[in-house]
Amino acid sequence: MLKSISKTFLLIPVVFLLGSCWELEQEVLDGITPEDVANSNNPALIDVLKASAYSRIVGSWGGHNSIWSIYEVSSDEMAIPQKGADWEDGGLWLRMHRHTWQPSDEAFNNSWAYCYTAIGEINNLIVSYRDVEALTAELRVLRALIYSWLIDSFGNVPIVTEDDLEGNPTNNSRQEVFDFIERSVLENVDLLPKSDTKTTLNYYSAHAILAKLYLNAEVYTGTARWADAKAAADVVISGPYSLSANFFSNFATRNGGSTENILTLPYDENNAQGFNLVQMTLHYLSQNTYNLQEQPWNGYASLEEFYNSFDDNDVRKNSFIVGPQFAADGTRLNDISAEANDPDGPPLTFTPEINMLAPNAFRQAGARVGKFEFASGAASSLNNDYPLFRLADMYLTKAEAAFRLGQTSEALTALNMVRTRAGMPAFTTVTLDTIFEERGREMFAEASRRTDQIRFGKWNQPWWEKGQSQPFRALFPIPLQQINANPNLTQNPGY
Amino acid sequence: MSVGEKLIIAKLNLILHLRFEIKYSYLFRFFKTKNPMRNYLQQLKSLMLVMALVFGASLVANAQSRTITGTVLDASLGDPVPGATVLVKGTTRGVATDLDGKFTLEIQSGDRVLVVSFVGYLTKEVEIGNQSTFTINLEEDIQSLEEAVVIGYGSQDKKEITSAVVGVKPEDFNRGNVANPTQLLQGKVAGLSITRAGGNPNGGFDIRLRGLSTFGANSSPLIVLDGVIGASLDNVDPNDIQSIDVLKDGSAAAIYGARGSSGVILITTTKKGTREPSTTVSINSFATLDQATNLIPILSPEEFVARGGQDFGSRTDWRQELIDDALSYTTNASVSGSFNSTTYMASVNYRDNNGIVNGVGNERLNTRINLSQSAINNRLRMNVNLSFTNVDSESINDAAFRYATIYNPTAPIFENTEDANQRFGGYFQRDLFDFYNPVALANQQKFVNEIKSALTSYRAEFDILPNLTASAQYSQDRRNELIGGFWSIQDFQVGLGARGSAERITNDRQQKIFESTLRYETEVMDGLNMTLLGGVAFQSTKNQGFGARVRQYLFDLGWNNLGAGAIRLGNNTNLYSYANEDQLNSAFGRANFNYRNLFFLSASVRAETYSGFGENNQTGVFPAFSVGSDFTQIFDMGVFSQFKPRVSYGVTGNLPPSPTLALGVFGNGNRIDLDGDPLTTDDIYVGIVQNSNPNRFLKWETKKEFNVGVDYAMFDGKVNGSVDYYVRNISDLLFNVPVSGGPNIFDPGRFNTVGSTWVNLADLRAAGFEFAIGVARIGKGTLKWSPNFNFTIYDKTTIESLSAGGLGFDELRFATPGSPGQNNNPIIYNRVGQTLGDFYGPRLLGISEAGEYILSTTNPDEFERLGNGLPQGEFGFANGFEYGQWSLNVFLRGAWGHDLYNSYRGFYENGDAPSNTWNSVITEKTPTSPLITSTPTFNSSYVEDASFIRLDNMELGYNFKTNSPNLSSFRVYFAAQNLFTITNYSGIDPEVRVRDLENNDPFTTSLSPGIERRNTYFQTRSFTLGLSLNFK
Repeated sequence: MLKSISKTFLLIPVVFLLGSCWELEQEVLDGITPEDVANSNNPALIDVLKASAYSRIVGSWGGHNSIWSIYEVSSDEMAIPQKGADWEDGGLWLRMHRHTWQPSDEAFNNSWAYCYTAIGEINNLIVSYRDVEALTAELRVLRALIYSWLIDSFGNVPIVTEDDLEGNPTNNSRQEVFDFIERSVLENVDLLPKSDTKTTLNYYSAHAILAKLYLNAEVYTGTARWADAKAAADVVISGPYSLSANFFSNFATRNGGSTENILTLPYDENNAQGFNLVQMTLHYLSQNTYNLQEQPWNGYASLEEFYNSFDDNDVRKNSFIVGPQFAADGTRLNDISAEANDPDGPPLTFTPEINMLAPNAFRQAGARVGKFEFASGAASSLNNDYPLFRLADMYLTKAEAAFRLGQTSEALTALNMVRTRAGMPAFTTVTLDTIFEERGREMFAEASRRTDQIRFGKWNQPWWEKGQSQPFRALFPIPLQQINANPNLTQNPGY
Repeated sequence: MSVGEKLIIAKLNLILHLRFEIKYSYLFRFFKTKNPMRNYLQQLKSLMLVMALVFGASLVANAQSRTITGTVLDASLGDPVPGATVLVKGTTRGVATDLDGKFTLEIQSGDRVLVVSFVGYLTKEVEIGNQSTFTINLEEDIQSLEEAVVIGYGSQDKKEITSAVVGVKPEDFNRGNVANPTQLLQGKVAGLSITRAGGNPNGGFDIRLRGLSTFGANSSPLIVLDGVIGASLDNVDPNDIQSIDVLKDGSAAAIYGARGSSGVILITTTKKGTREPSTTVSINSFATLDQATNLIPILSPEEFVARGGQDFGSRTDWRQELIDDALSYTTNASVSGSFNSTTYMASVNYRDNNGIVNGVGNERLNTRINLSQSAINNRLRMNVNLSFTNVDSESINDAAFRYATIYNPTAPIFENTEDANQRFGGYFQRDLFDFYNPVALANQQKFVNEIKSALTSYRAEFDILPNLTASAQYSQDRRNELIGGFWSIQDFQVGLGARGSAERITNDRQQKIFESTLRYETEVMDGLNMTLLGGVAFQSTKNQGFGARVRQYLFDLGWNNLGAGAIRLGNNTNLYSYANEDQLNSAFGRANFNYRNLFFLSASVRAETYSGFGENNQTGVFPAFSVGSDFTQIFDMGVFSQFKPRVSYGVTGNLPPSPTLALGVFGNGNRIDLDGDPLTTDDIYVGIVQNSNPNRFLKWETKKEFNVGVDYAMFDGKVNGSVDYYVRNISDLLFNVPVSGGPNIFDPGRFNTVGSTWVNLADLRAAGFEFAIGVARIGKGTLKWSPNFNFTIYDKTTIESLSAGGLGFDELRFATPGSPGQNNNPIIYNRVGQTLGDFYGPRLLGISEAGEYILSTTNPDEFERLGNGLPQGEFGFANGFEYGQWSLNVFLRGAWGHDLYNSYRGFYENGDAPSNTWNSVITEKTPTSPLITSTPTFNSSYVEDASFIRLDNMELGYNFKTNSPNLSSFRVYFAAQNLFTITNYSGIDPEVRVRDLENNDPFTTSLSPGIERRNTYFQTRSFTLGLSLNFK
C-alpha cells in the first residue's frame, strides 16, 4: 500500500506537467467574438450590424462635451456662462466661447474619437461584407457623412478606408478629404434606395451631404462649387419631403413622422440615449416645470444679440425659453439662491440679457434653448429625433447658392419658402447678410451656425464677450491626445 | 483572542504536552514520531537531556551534600515553568521542575552555579552561594520563537532567508477593534503601507508594498491564505491568525510569478501542533465605543447668515443630527486540541460593528475548522481547512457626509408644508443646485451588501523517503455578494424624478486551484545542505453575476419587490448579467542551499501560461536569485550574534484586468428596431459593438527588483532587525491607451472601433530604504520595555516612460475637484520624467485687497508642480511594557512628506456670493482678512503638507492569577484607537491617500493620489473594553 501511495504522489505532478496544455484558449462567456459574427447565419445579422454602425453616430452627438457642444458654444448663438464656481470647469467653455481653446481641451478629443471609432466600425464591416454591394455602398456614404463633419471641424484629417490596413494614418489635405467625400457619395449614391427613410441614408440624404459639401467648397478647397451645391439641393428638394406647416413639429418629442426631416439621429430615452439638451440648458428649478426625472444643469443659454435677431412675430422666436417660469401646477418658481444683485430677484425669470460670461453670471440669465420639445416627465436623455438634414436647410442652401450664382429671383423664392412658413413677410430683396441671418434663425441649435459664420466671413469678428480671433481658429486643433497616440499626425497651422 | 493569550495558550500546550510525555511515553514516542518541525526536535532533545539528568542525578545521590529548593518562573507572566532543567554547572547532575515549577536538588560542596534552561527561554546561570531557596525567572528567547518564517510553498529558518521577508506574530499585531486582517499589520512592516481614511467600518484598506507597482487593479499585494493563492480576505478573521509573513522583494515573490508584482502577504491560520492529548477553549469578547472626531470647523448659523447666507429661521447642527456614538461587539471563541494522530482547531468569530452614522455598519460571522490527521507513522499527513463567513453590511450615500458639513445651518430638518409632506416625506428640501438635506439623504437611500464566503482546502503530504515529500492541495474559494440599493419615492436626490427606485445585484466569484509539489532535502556534500522544490499548479477563476434595477413605485417596497417598479427601461433602470472564466497553468521550482549556516543561496523560477494573455504571448517566465552570508560564522563580530548581508534579484508579473482583453469581444449596443415600428416586436434586436480593440500581443506586466539588505542580531538576539535597500523597474504596464482612428496594429486586418486599446507600455522606477529594529524586554525588575521601530524612506516612483511603440502619453492628467464648477481642470499630472501623481496648478501668489486670488497663471500648460500625494517616508513605533501582571502596548504611526488636496477648503471657504448657498469651512488655514471673494479655483493654497504622527492604538491589559484547575488564564484589557494625531493638515484625516475615492476605474485611480474628497467618512476614535479567558 505504501508503495502505491508513493507512486500516486509521484505521478500527480509528473502527469500534470506532461499532460497539461501549455496553450490555453480563452473562452468568451458573455460576449460575441469576431469569429461568432463571421459564422452566424442569422438573416437579421447584417441589418443589425448596419444599425449598430448607425448607432455610433447617434451616440454622443447631442450630449454635453460633444461635437454639438463645440459647434454651438464656439459660435455666436450659444454660450455657457459661469455662475460662480458652477460651470467654471477649468475654463474650457469660456475658452470655447472666446476662441482661445487649446489642443488639449477634452471636447475636441471626444469629437474626434466619436468620428473615428465609427469609421473604424464601418471599415471593419466593409472588410467583412465586401460582396454585399448595397450594404457597402450605404456604409461608404455613411463614412462620407462622418468625414463631412471632420473636414468642417478639423480640416486636414487622415482618410482611413477599408484598404488602409497598415500603420498609423497620416494627415490628408482638406482638398483630398473633400475629393474623398465627393467620390464616396457619387460612386455609391445610385445604389441607395430612393425612399424616405429618415434614420438610414438614402439617395436624397446622400445628396444632402453633397449639397452641404459643395456649399462650403470654397472654404474647404478654395474653389467655389455653388452650381453643384444648388443642383444637389435640388435633388433633395425633388424628393419625398415637404415643409411642415408647424415649424416645431420637426423638433417635437414624437417627430419621427416629420415630412421635413431628411436624416435624423433617432434618439430614444431608453434605447438610444445621448441627447441631453434638456439637462444642458434648463435651470435647476425647471425640473418642476417639466416634471423632469433629473435636476437640470443650468448651462447652455443663447446670446442676447442672437436672440434679438428674431422678430417678435417670427414663430421661430419660440425656439427660446424666456420670461417667468412656472411649476407644472402653475405656481411661480422661486430661486431662493438668486444673487442678491439680480434685478429679477428670486422669482425665476429667464432674461435674454446675460450680465456677464464669467465669473458671476446670474443663475437665471440667458434665453434657454427651447427649440426641441421637452416632454413632461422627460428623462435626461430625450426622445426627440435630431435632424442632421432638414428640407428647410436645403431650401436655404439652394437660396444661397443661387444668390451667389447671381440667380436672385430663384434665391428669393427658395428663401421665402422658409421665411413665410415662420409667419414672416416674404423678402423682396436679398443680400448675403439676409441669407446669413435667415439661416441663423432657421437653423438655431442645429450645429450650423459655426459653419455659416465661417462661410460668410464673420467667424473671427468680435461679439459679446469675445474679441477678434485669429484666422487659424476657423479650424479646430487636432486633439493633443490624438497627436500623442499617433506621431504621424501634424497639428493644424497656428496651434 | 489577544496576542498575550495566544502566548499563554502556546505555553500551556507545551506544558500539558510535557507532562504527558514525561509521565507516559516519552522514549517510545521519540522513536515513533518524527516531525520535521525544528522546534519540536529541539524540544525532544531537551527532554532527552532531562531524562538523562534524572537518571544521572539518582546515581550520584549518595555523595556529601545539602538540599536546595527553588521555583522557576516565567519572567514576564510570573507563571511557573514546569519541566525546566536545573543543572549544576560543569556536571551532569540536575533535575527537572515539577508542575508547579518547583525543584529540589542535592548539591555538593564544590558546586558554584546552577544552569537553568527550557526550550523557548534563554538559559540562565545562577550563583548558588549560601542560598538554599531560589526563585529563578526565565526570559523568553524571542529569537527562537521567531525562527520559522513562512515563504511561498513552505517555511524556512529565519537564519537561512536571503530575501526581504518579514514575519509578524500575534504579539506584534495592532490592538483594539481590528476587524480586517491587514489592519493587524498597519505600520508594523517597513515598506508596507496600509491606509484607510476616515472611520468607515465597511471601508476596505488600501495596501501598498514598497509603493505602486502597477497602474492596475492588482496594486494590493497578493494574499495567500494557508497556501491558497488569491484567497479572499473575507475568509479569515483576525482572531484566527497565527502569523502573517510579508514577501517584500521580487526574489521572494517570484515564486508567485505573474501575480507577485505587488508583493505577497502570506497568512497562516492557527493550527495546533502535533502535541498529544489536550483541549484548550479560548473566549475573547470585547465592546467598542466609536466617536466622531476631528470634524472640520464650519460657520455657526449666525456667522453663516452674517456672511450672506440665506436664513431659513432654524438652527441645525447637521453633523450632530447625522452622527451618534456607536457601540460594537465582538466575540471570538475557539476550541483546539489533539487526540491520537488528530489535531483540530475550531473557531467562531462574531463581530457586530456599527458606524458613527445610523445605517452604517456590518455584522459578521466567521467559522473555521482546521483539521489535521497523520497516518502511517506520520509519513502521510492530511489536512482540511474549512472556513465560512457571512458579512451583512449596510451603508448610506456617502454624500451625506459632505452635505452634513455644508448644508445650510439655518434650515430645519423637517418643515410642515404641504409641498414638503407630499414630495419629500416632510423633509426640508429646496430646488438648489447640489443641495440635499443630509438627514433625508441618509434616511431615504439605503444600500445593503451581503457577502457569503467559503474557503475549503484539502491537502495531503506524503514522505516518500524521509527526505522526499510529495504534496497535493486542492482548494476552492467561493464568494457570493448580494447587493441591494433603494431610493425612496420621496428621496430628492434620485428618487423624486425616478419616482422611487430599487436594485438587486449579485456577484459570484469562484476560484479553484490544484497544486502539487515535490520537495527533496539532502546534504550534497559535507556541510552543504540542499532543498529542492518543484511543482505544478492549475487554477481557474470564474466570475459571474447579474443585476436589475427598476423605478417608479407606488409604495416604497425597495429591492424586496422589483416587480412593483413600473419602469424597467431607461434612466435609473438596469438589467444585465455577465460571466467570465480564466485559466492559469503554472510550473515552478526552487533550490535552496545552506553551507554550514554560513552561506545561503536560493534560486527559483516560475512559468505561467494564462488564457487571458494574447495568443502571441501566452507564457511568461519569472526567475529569481538570492544569496546571503552570516558573517558572525566567519569573524568574531563582538556584540553581533547575526550579521547577514544578502543580495537578491527577482522578476515578477501582473495579470491583465480582464481575461478577454486580448480578443475583440462584442458587447451590447443600442436596442434596434429594424423597421422602426414599435408595434412589430419580432424585428427588435440588441445591436453589437466591440467593447475593446483586441490586442493579440497583450502580456503580463514585468517588475524587476534588486534588493540588498542586512539581517542583524545583537546581544544574543536581544536586539535584532534588518536594513534593506531596493530598486525596482517596472515595465510593460497594462494600460488602456488612446489609439488614433485607423488600423489596429495589435490585430492586423481590423480597425480600431474604440478610442483606446489595452496595451503594455510605460516604465516606472522606484527605490526605497527600509530599516527595522526590535529590542526584547529591557528594563529593571519586573518592568520590561520592548520597543520595535521601523521606518521606510521612499525614493518615489518616477515615470520613465508612458509609451511603447509610438503609442502612449507624454503626460496623463487626472482628478478634477468636481462639481460645482471644477469638472474640467485635472489637478494631478503624471509627467514623464517626474514622480507619479504630482499636483499641478496655479500658485497662489497672494490675495488682493478685494479678496481676489492673485494666481501665477490661468493657463493649464503653465501650471507648476505643487506637491505630491505619496509619502516620502512612513514609520511605526511599537512599545510593549510589562509590569507584573500588567501589560501596556502603545503604537505610534506616521508618514511624512506627502501632500493632500483639502477639498473642503478648495470648495467651501471662499466668501463669494454664489458660494453662500452652502455653509463654509473655516480652518486655521482659511484666509479671513480679507476673505477670498473669488470663485473657488484650484491653486497651491489647497495643497497642504499632511505629514502626521498618530497614536494609532494602545492597550492596557491585566492578567489575573488563577488557581482554578480549569481556567488557565483570565485577562481584562482596555484599548484605544486613534487617540491623537499631530499634524498641520487642516482637513479631515491626514492619512496618505494612495488612490482617488471618486475614481472607480482601477486603472487610473492610483494615478491620482493625495486627494481628500468631500465625501470622506468622518474620522473616529474608538475605545474598547474586553476580556479573554482560556480554559484547559
